[in-house]
Amino acid sequence: MTDAPLLEITDLTTQFFTRAGVVKAVDGVSFSLRRGEVMGLVGESGSGKSVTGFSIIGLIDPPGRVASGSVKLDGRELVGLPPDELRTLRGRIVSMVFQDPLMTLNPVLTIGEQIRLALEAHEKVSGAQARQRAIAGLAQVRIPRPEATVDYYPHQLSGGMRQRVAIAIALLHHPKLIICDEPTTALDVSIQAEILVEMKELVAELGTALIWISHDLATVASIAQHVAVMRLGKIVEAGPTLDVLTRPQHAYTRALLDSLPSRAKPGEFLLRGGGVPDAVPPARKPASAAAAPVPGAPYFIADRVSKRFESRPSALRALGQRFGLLQPPPVVMAVDEVSLTVPRGEALGLVGESGSGKSTLGRMAAGIYAPSSGTVRFEGWPVMSEGQGSKKLTTRIQTIFQDPFASLDPRMRIGDGIAEGPLAHGLIGKAGARGYVRDWLAAVGLDPAFADRYPHQFSGGQRQRVAIARALAMQPDLVVCDEPVASLDVSIQAQIINLLMRLRAELGLTLIFISHDLSVVRHLCDRVAVMYRGRIVEEGPAGEVYDNPQHDYTKRLLAAVPVLPEAAA
Amino acid sequence: MMRTETPLARFWSEFRESRVAVAALIVVVVMISLALLAPLIAPQNPYDLANLVLSDARRPPGYVGSNGYTHWLGTDAQGRDLLSAILYGLRISLQMGLVAGAVAFTIGVTLGISAAYLGGRREAFIMRVIDLQLAFPAILLALVISALLGQGKAQLITALVAAQYAYFARTAHGAASAERGKDYVEAALSTPLPARQVIWRHILPNCLPPLIVVATVQVASAIALEATLSFLGVGLPVTEPSLGSLIANGFQYMLSGRYWISIYPGLALILLIVAINLVGDQIRDQVNPRLKR
Repeated sequence: MTDAPLLEITDLTTQFFTRAGVVKAVDGVSFSLRRGEVMGLVGESGSGKSVTGFSIIGLIDPPGRVASGSVKLDGRELVGLPPDELRTLRGRIVSMVFQDPLMTLNPVLTIGEQIRLALEAHEKVSGAQARQRAIAGLAQVRIPRPEATVDYYPHQLSGGMRQRVAIAIALLHHPKLIICDEPTTALDVSIQAEILVEMKELVAELGTALIWISHDLATVASIAQHVAVMRLGKIVEAGPTLDVLTRPQHAYTRALLDSLPSRAKPGEFLLRGGGVPDAVPPARKPASAAAAPVPGAPYFIADRVSKRFESRPSALRALGQRFGLLQPPPVVMAVDEVSLTVPRGEALGLVGESGSGKSTLGRMAAGIYAPSSGTVRFEGWPVMSEGQGSKKLTTRIQTIFQDPFASLDPRMRIGDGIAEGPLAHGLIGKAGARGYVRDWLAAVGLDPAFADRYPHQFSGGQRQRVAIARALAMQPDLVVCDEPVASLDVSIQAQIINLLMRLRAELGLTLIFISHDLSVVRHLCDRVAVMYRGRIVEEGPAGEVYDNPQHDYTKRLLAAVPVLPEAAA
Repeated sequence: MMRTETPLARFWSEFRESRVAVAALIVVVVMISLALLAPLIAPQNPYDLANLVLSDARRPPGYVGSNGYTHWLGTDAQGRDLLSAILYGLRISLQMGLVAGAVAFTIGVTLGISAAYLGGRREAFIMRVIDLQLAFPAILLALVISALLGQGKAQLITALVAAQYAYFARTAHGAASAERGKDYVEAALSTPLPARQVIWRHILPNCLPPLIVVATVQVASAIALEATLSFLGVGLPVTEPSLGSLIANGFQYMLSGRYWISIYPGLALILLIVAINLVGDQIRDQVNPRLKR
């Protein structure tokens, strides 16, 4: 009996009816899962992995529907069950954990109330019982002091704690199957490591089956015994995790693995040079003599810079503080007296977890934020003017932002967006603007004819190429890259990394590369600085820091990174 | 991901889904055309006193006048053909509404976006003045200014603008504050682009959708406000009768059974305002992402 699979999916097909026609989001997927087993569902965005998860528990909303196939859970057919019956199964037999617990937890209810509601959905419990069960549930997912946490609101918890609460709710009724959709994607790597370990233990303890949906091969490798790689709604390869990852059979799986910087030598083109254009960037305008470097000054220096974020008190509050009735609000030191120099031509990696201050430091380096104290100098000249409403003074430092969906003006044709900065600063003339834009689009691997399109007509990877062209068209010497590949799929990420490496070599750029992804930084950077709570705790050549970390935090950070099994020779 | 239709084409195809809005749009377009063509299509020039025959005064709809043509909507106290008076009145009402709306839009949006861009004390000062002004009813403000400045088109437009620019400023400020913090504005600032360029080429175009909604609604309310002022006798002089003055002219005859002198201009006014508001509602529903299905 125990040998019968718990979940048996055969030929599952889910379709979406859109204006453009019928889209098969899931196209003939079959797999099975036993009790206590963990199955990883891997794929890039749009591969259908999440829709597969939703299809299992009947959470497909119109215009989508499960068109054919069967989902058997414990011998019971789920496809075609009326919505009411499915609802009695959800949470009790199958439950789900989503990527962003801030979206799934109700912000106006305490944790305890939410757990009570989840309990009452399927059984009758008294208030006191519910509270006991809530505390026990929170303890089960290793939440410290569950008696206190039960009365907290979601916003009082950190991201990792919120995700644990979501998991606790999913486990309440001891479901036979849990589906986790990118459960650790929004979390820091050290929190992710903790949750991975805990999930593994819980699954073993409770004998629950688990489907772990993720874009990240490494996290899947560290939790799942079986893995299925999805692409365009189909499973292209499936099998024991170790086999699939060390002896990939399908070309797509191999391409996914080749996209990972952790599997390549630092500085090597990924994906065998995929996505690297042949076109050369246009020539620079010769530098004017007025901007000669100050002799003896370091190329780039952030000199004991700090950034404080204080909420400005309202008039009433200020009055209260004046008379000592109210405490002044706490001052947040996002960056605390950090000094950093970057020699010409170097690529410096700035790593750290969320809230470490790396983005704020990057924004001060890029001349977007003025430091609260300290100065940032480039070739001896200050990057920003002093005083109130300070402005950026140089064009030779440019920025590439994380989210290409947000960093391009949605109402401006990309050609105009690329040309406006160089035009405003006289790097090109009006007559040459079109040609200049076309050359840059070619240099970042886009069709020059795209110049008249709007950002919404591009995919994420293409947009990031536009953003790179926009920054580099200003002919900078130093480029601050703030998580430029964090929101991209791995294969696209590999292409953008390749592009950045090529353009850096071609143009002799100096880089400050901010990332939470240690493997990307190791791949691209000569030197690395580790930030923790607004300070740089360790700094050195990339190889040394990674192989022989000195600071405790760096050690913890490196240990938390999930590792892929090595490819079989 | 690839969408080939232009944003405007998409907007129109969504707009077409609402029959009411399309009907309202047709009404608005027809009324604007009538107003523009008034001198060509009106049976009579109501301003030409030589055309008016006093014996034809206060005649009911359908009356055949002494100079041979039928007054389909009757005549007023001066023997003026009401249909012609309404067409000319529509012209003046629309003119007032659109000009006042455009001027209020320009002033309000400039103030609101500058405040959002500048931040700090200057923002606080501008926005508090505007909040203070919004605390007074628009009609009161317009009434006081009209009374102080006297009659005339320019004076009336000043009064309407003073009553309305604050709505544009509020909306523009709200939209611009949200845009100000977005990455593409930071990208523009870190290029660096001059402030003027960031405001006009990046922030303003992205603030337009809510502003267009406010503009349509405000044009309608400017027309209504103008009619109110004219009705109360502080708007336009009797020599340039807008719809509001026409209603006022006929008001004294209402109880003596000569309803048409007030009612028909009133119906025209209602039709115009309701139609503009319906178009505005549809645009608002379309640009509000929360209402998107």
